[in-house]
Amino acid sequence: MAAATVLGRLSLIPNLSSKPKLKSNRRTTSTSVSIRAQASFSDPFVLQLAESLEDSLSASPSSSSLPLQRIRDSSAETLLSTPWPSRKDEPFRFTDTSFIRFSQIEPVSTHQRNSEILDNLTETQFPNAVIIDGFVSNLTIGPSDLPDGVYFGSFSGLPDELTNRVSEFIGNFDSGDLFWSINGMGAPDLMVIYVPEGCKVENPIYLRYFSGETGDRESKRLPVSNPRGFVLVEEGGEIGIVEEFVGKDEEGFYWTNPVLEVVVQKNGKLKHSYLQKESMASAHVKWTFVRQEAESEYELVEVSTGGKLGRHNVHVQQLGPDTLTELTTFHMCVNEQTLDLHSRIVLDHPRGSSRQLHKCIVAHSSGQAVFDGNVRVNRFAQQTNAGQLTRSLLLKPRATVNIKPNLQIIADDVKCSHGAAISDLEEDQLFYFQARGINLETARRALISSFGSEVIEKFPNREIRDQARNHVKGLL
Amino acid sequence: MAGVNLQLRQAYSIAQFVPTVSSPPPLHTQRVRLGTSPSRVLLCNLRANSAAAPILRTTRRSVTVSASSVSSSVDSDSLVEERDDMGRIPLLEVRDLRAVIAESRQEILKGVNLVIYEGEVHAVMGKNGSGKSTFSKVLVGHPDYEVTGGSIVFKGQNLLDMEPEDRSLAGLFMSFQSPVEIPGVSNMDFLNMAFNARKRKLGQPELDPIQFYSHLVSKLEVVNMKTDFLNRNVNEGFSGGERKRNEILQLAVLGAELAILDEIDSGLDVDALQDVAKAVNGLLTPKNSVLMITHYQRLLDYIKPTLIHIMENGRIIKTGDNSLAKLLEKEGYKAISG
Repeated sequence: MAAATVLGRLSLIPNLSSKPKLKSNRRTTSTSVSIRAQASFSDPFVLQLAESLEDSLSASPSSSSLPLQRIRDSSAETLLSTPWPSRKDEPFRFTDTSFIRFSQIEPVSTHQRNSEILDNLTETQFPNAVIIDGFVSNLTIGPSDLPDGVYFGSFSGLPDELTNRVSEFIGNFDSGDLFWSINGMGAPDLMVIYVPEGCKVENPIYLRYFSGETGDRESKRLPVSNPRGFVLVEEGGEIGIVEEFVGKDEEGFYWTNPVLEVVVQKNGKLKHSYLQKESMASAHVKWTFVRQEAESEYELVEVSTGGKLGRHNVHVQQLGPDTLTELTTFHMCVNEQTLDLHSRIVLDHPRGSSRQLHKCIVAHSSGQAVFDGNVRVNRFAQQTNAGQLTRSLLLKPRATVNIKPNLQIIADDVKCSHGAAISDLEEDQLFYFQARGINLETARRALISSFGSEVIEKFPNREIRDQARNHVKGLL
Repeated sequence: MAGVNLQLRQAYSIAQFVPTVSSPPPLHTQRVRLGTSPSRVLLCNLRANSAAAPILRTTRRSVTVSASSVSSSVDSDSLVEERDDMGRIPLLEVRDLRAVIAESRQEILKGVNLVIYEGEVHAVMGKNGSGKSTFSKVLVGHPDYEVTGGSIVFKGQNLLDMEPEDRSLAGLFMSFQSPVEIPGVSNMDFLNMAFNARKRKLGQPELDPIQFYSHLVSKLEVVNMKTDFLNRNVNEGFSGGERKRNEILQLAVLGAELAILDEIDSGLDVDALQDVAKAVNGLLTPKNSVLMITHYQRLLDYIKPTLIHIMENGRIIKTGDNSLAKLLEKEGYKAISG
């Protein structure tokens, strides 16, 4: 029944049958299967979810901008053929999403604004936006905060001359998964950051995401929100953005399913800081999709600690030569939780350089860290220099880490390395502390927090560094 | 108790101590658990005697179990007669110390005896693999080694009952031969942590980073280091010389009644060696003692030892003054072990 409804709506979309999606489908090898044929593979649960997302948005008047509509259409199409992932699907082999699947998923109501959150915010020195349930709810930008030509705000407020430019790039991604499409289907608003040519923005833009609505574990009511952002850095532009995801209360039961799309044009630079501090009962599944033109730089620094299930999918696509990509990430499980990083760097042009460091700590016997780090060096990506290193600390018996570093190299003149180490704390280091009169417990704490500080030190802004450090310290 | 201690003091004058070490140790490898302090003191007494009467020593393990049998078998009169009048206070008393590598059970220390009094500087020399470094690590409680017999008494406390951190807090400091790197922990934070642990132990107020910094700066001069040294992570990317200086800086900041310097001279150029030696000499007081582990006479030119011990095959086989080191330098270990 549900399947038929969504299908009925889809058939109204004119370009649907003329242009089959190039979505890689795990179940079907051919990409040119007709929509009706694919429909027979539909997962009724997913269709029902898609339908409820669509219903939640139709109540909202502000959701009719063109690119958003386009994203919704293509997402709806994809959802038709995408079943809920199981452990049999390679990208979810170690990541159990059944906790979301068997909750009572409800899209957040679109017009709830929680002023309580706004009241309790601490001031920051950066231009910032508070995003509640996917809506930009509070924007604090003084006239002097941003240079001329920089835009920061909802897509609907974008000046006309930029609308077309930004629309060119939005939603052109064919390697997403179910969660990417759910966001596309459910995103109520599109937050846009635009940096014009040659403009170097001094202060970072600070995005703080909150979940205004929380369900409860008893009734399994799981409100889902789908914040969506887009960043375009034009040629020679530079900016830093900070994404912070905050759980209002520690036991908050909700699902945040954000997407951030990034395009860095020639010689542009983006420093991306991402701090995930969701509640320990929540689900957080994030997608970051980055496209890099020639000579551009993209740097991600991530610290993730929250969520019963937390997953970050990062996809970096190289569009021109001489790019620099740096991913530095730290996951810490101190509870019964799964934290997952799925990263993929696709290099298609010469002289690209990528550096990746992923560290994780599992400090709970039912905690699990997952890392799948894919670096693909394709045929034309000669003289690529790609390095990847992952280090994990298991601090409790039965704590689990599943690591899958994988390099796929087709070019024949490249320098690539990868390494993985999983261990407990070093005895020698602990003894060194003890030999100076510091007890074992203090020594362990110092060593554990120092393990993450290699990543935390990489945050470009001091305020974020301190915040991350205190947060990690607090959890230990 | 006081009386017993007094006897001990005299019993371990050097004159008696030297012949002790040349006598063969008993052949036992079982682990000895040293218990409460009364039996520990008695045990030491017994050992002192056993140097003169080896028959007693073979029964040592059984008598430690029962304090009464120990006291009855101790010939305390002989100790009283050997009392010396110098009134020195023993800082460290090591008796028949035996230790194995925890993993392989290979015995490295095969009955080490050594007494260090307040204000003395001792040097332990010996070939590679003779057990010198193991000895210093066992003193500070390194987990790679397991003590299977004998005793270590430091300031009247049984060291073997203490965790490594408590040994440090009691005033024992070992400079590591090759100190480990600790990425992510700055030198400053590390020193502050260690310093405050000590303050806590003494019941004194701890210093916050700013107060501590001013305290530190004066100490940096002692080892001739710049302040940016403090911001670097502990031993990370340090040169050999910097590591040794850092160890001495820690010693200068934390202080110690007994500093064990394990090959503090290895890998140092002459200038650095002089700096380090100067720093160590500057820290010496009539109450503080130093135990140096070294291969070379060179270090002893800068830090003058009271006594030199030659270690071989897990035992101290000879003890003497500086002339011993000179003999060693000239003729090698053959001259001594032969």
